[in-house]
Amino acid sequence: MTIATARRRHALDLDDFTPEEIEEILDTAESMKEVLSREIKQVPTLRGRTVVNMFYEESTRTRISFELAARALSANVVSFTARGSSVEKGESLIDTVRTLQALGADMVVIRHNQSGAPHLVARHFAGGVINAGDGRHAHPTQALLDLLTIREHLGQIRGLKVVIVGDILHSRVARSNLWGLTRLGAEVTLCAPPTLLGPAAYWTATWPQVKISYKVDEAIAGADVVMALRLQKERMQAGLLPSLREYSRAYAITPERLARLGEKTLIMHPGPMNEGVEIWPEVVTAPNTVIDEQVTNGVAVRMALLYRLAG
Amino acid sequence: MRYLICNGSIIDPARRVATVGDVWVADGVVEQLVDLTDLHAAPEPVGDEVTVINARGCVIAPGFTDLHAHLREPGDEHKETLASGGLAAAMGGFTTVCAMPSTKPALDNAALVRHVRAIAERDSSVRIEVIGALTKGREGHGLADLMELAEAGCIAFGDGGRPVSDAALMANALSYASVLGLPVMTYCEDLRLTAGWAMHEGVISTRLGLAGFPKAAEESFIARDIALAEAAGAHLHICQVSTAGGVALIRSAKARGVRVTAEVTPHHLTLTDRWVMGNLVPHDTTMITQTARRGRRSKTHPELGLPSWLDPSLLPPYDPSTRVAPPLRTDEDVEALIEGLRDGTIDAIATGHAPHALVDKECEYALAAPGISGLETTLALVLTLVHRGEMDLVNMIAKLTEGPAQVLGRSPSTLHPGARADLVIFNPDEYWTVDTSKFASKGRNNPLHGQRLKGQVMLTMAAGKIAYRRENFGHGGGHSHPTASRLEGILPSDS
Amino acid sequence: MTDRKQILTADDIRRALVRIAHEIDERNGGLHDVILIGIRERGAPLAERIAAAIADFEGVRVPVGQLDITLYRDDLRTRGPSARVRKTLIQHDVTDRVVVLVDDVLYTGRTVRAALDAIADLGRPARIQLAVLVDRGHRELPIRADFVGKNVPTSRSERVEVHLRESDGVDQVLISRPA
Repeated sequence: MTIATARRRHALDLDDFTPEEIEEILDTAESMKEVLSREIKQVPTLRGRTVVNMFYEESTRTRISFELAARALSANVVSFTARGSSVEKGESLIDTVRTLQALGADMVVIRHNQSGAPHLVARHFAGGVINAGDGRHAHPTQALLDLLTIREHLGQIRGLKVVIVGDILHSRVARSNLWGLTRLGAEVTLCAPPTLLGPAAYWTATWPQVKISYKVDEAIAGADVVMALRLQKERMQAGLLPSLREYSRAYAITPERLARLGEKTLIMHPGPMNEGVEIWPEVVTAPNTVIDEQVTNGVAVRMALLYRLAG
Repeated sequence: MRYLICNGSIIDPARRVATVGDVWVADGVVEQLVDLTDLHAAPEPVGDEVTVINARGCVIAPGFTDLHAHLREPGDEHKETLASGGLAAAMGGFTTVCAMPSTKPALDNAALVRHVRAIAERDSSVRIEVIGALTKGREGHGLADLMELAEAGCIAFGDGGRPVSDAALMANALSYASVLGLPVMTYCEDLRLTAGWAMHEGVISTRLGLAGFPKAAEESFIARDIALAEAAGAHLHICQVSTAGGVALIRSAKARGVRVTAEVTPHHLTLTDRWVMGNLVPHDTTMITQTARRGRRSKTHPELGLPSWLDPSLLPPYDPSTRVAPPLRTDEDVEALIEGLRDGTIDAIATGHAPHALVDKECEYALAAPGISGLETTLALVLTLVHRGEMDLVNMIAKLTEGPAQVLGRSPSTLHPGARADLVIFNPDEYWTVDTSKFASKGRNNPLHGQRLKGQVMLTMAAGKIAYRRENFGHGGGHSHPTASRLEGILPSDS
Repeated sequence: MTDRKQILTADDIRRALVRIAHEIDERNGGLHDVILIGIRERGAPLAERIAAAIADFEGVRVPVGQLDITLYRDDLRTRGPSARVRKTLIQHDVTDRVVVLVDDVLYTGRTVRAALDAIADLGRPARIQLAVLVDRGHRELPIRADFVGKNVPTSRSERVEVHLRESDGVDQVLISRPA
């Protein structure tokens, strides 16, 4: 048995994962899926450990996914959801972390609307920290579950043409997927209106292989995977878009676009979806759409990560 | 009290003097300079009543003037007081500090200004001047009582870290101030372009997912204020210019004769947005593997081979000490700022000293109060440019002495006999490691914590009194002629 | 340098596995309820080979599974997580079956303890038996093997290395001691 070479304490983003480590985690996640397929969906691996889910931003699906993952490994799980920033609440994030430390938490899972909040927690917490999504920065477990889903369907990531469409600028999912996909050798295209993307050079300086497109039909031609991102309604209010209707016509994954893609192209979405805005209802139920599998794989990937951080 | 500061390299930009010699100080003023390279000068006998300070290996220069410091008293005395800020200034080699009106309440009326000046007189050994608020409460809605503020002794007007968004109000302010003969110090930020900003908008902000402060938000206001000042014939002073485009705008305004001056901070001259990334590894996979293998990256500067020379990887990513307004920009901007300093587009180096309490800083990055507590690291930071050969030492000292004096329309601080004895002695070659816990300032927010810097203040004298002296500095050693080799390293060849 | 000595040859291994196959048949009065479960990694090919030996003399193919016990280990805190958790592959329900666990070396008994816990999570077998190629002693738990290829007295400082064609290209068992 090979012990994980460098012991990893935190999973804050995929930017410090080697391709080998990502593959190992995906392999482990596949083994975790076997555990989840049993009648008794639980193994004793993390018995006696306490995992705290700190959710400073509501996300029912991610929180439940992490809770199920921790419970399947027999950890004690506590979750809390606090609205608004810690500053508004009057208690600083660091105070909260110190309190959790004193209460005996072994691992912390944090979701926060401020980019970098998990790094702050990691600096003040002796145990492991998993980023469950911070601001527009990173969502590493989402990227891992996307990679697992793609790998299960298409065999390997290397050489695949993956197109991410939507509000790239504000998307942590896009950023973490950029790290994961490029590190495993996929060709990634980002496609969005310029107001939701920013200058191309801002992206290509960090991810030199990535392609930038403003036209969805050109971008998705010949794609192996098309990933649609959620469009927050407030982007329109902020003046970044003329109207939802125009956005939808220009960038949504419509049945027509789906028909042109062919049956082998995977359609993905990190959820929650705005059906009729970035993705059409008919597309959601199409056979090559794997959105439900993404959710299932989320639990397995999070189990794999919790296991890897336990030491 | 009479002092003999001997064997130092005397640099006095205002008098175009750079030589090796002694400085005599008596009764708060410079008594005389003795040029030791002049072999005809007869050394004066040293009596018992004289305190001898041996400045061998050090530079003796006029005390520095800081155009831009937030000293927080009254209102935020937990962040800084006039006493702690004054001492921090002395430790940084400053003998005059201009306090921004960013107090609570703002310094927007004569009574408060007189009050602050009185406390400063009582609590601080270095001179503290007051910048009056430009608008009531620094809120940008109506003019402060500028005439009364001028009578109360304000040396300039400005809203200190807040822009005047209303262009009409800014035009009025410039017009009104122009007859008072005082500069209007403007902080340039279009708030509509910077909503929610955390750092410079660019490659790094995109990677880190932080909202950006675009260059255009600063440059559009610089352009606006230059146009308004030109129309009003007023003296406009641009605070904390940070972009290449801003430097170009100021350069062309100066060229056509607009009364515009500008300052730059030491951090904008030396640090970039790369510092917000801290020790995050670059994108290249081979680098990650290497980093994992070696555990830590090399501590040696790649080009200079010196121990960690301004190494951003000593910081964690998202370290709030790197959040400052305007934000740390890019290499290209740093180069343009240095060029602007060299060619005279930028008149002065100002610290932008902005001390904060730990709770205001140690939080989520975008929520952290912007600012760096910089008085005590300014000299060492700007000396990195001298050590790298990008600026000569005399010019650098001028930007800390003569330049700011000219912005304020005053005669520059100098070591001329009869001048007030405001001076600094520093060793440009002494290494030290920044430890913010040892700061005199109450603000420990400085991204240089843990960095090894070259160049340290040894002694600061304000009005002939020692305001700061490094432990054991200047004792011992005779009064003797220095070796010629010492001169070569420090003085520019043409002086 | 370490001093290595071969204690089982390829032929020894083959004979031992055939003997174990016969013993499993005799002990259980037939093979219709038996399921062989190899503990990963090296127990898995051994279970396959025992099944093949049974097929040779009985003409029946007994079901074979693979069990990964990584998630049941009791040394996570001290040894840390392994790089990769491998899959447990057991197609048949183990409830009311005779489960024969197969492993290469029986030593402290901790691996077998973990395997027993893992099997209990998969169902409720009628009986669980244990077959090992080598029993080297030094048990730390009250566990014994039902079928043993070879008993090898060892000291704790020695290492027993099982090499199999499937993973190592050659069949042999070595014992090595630090020089």
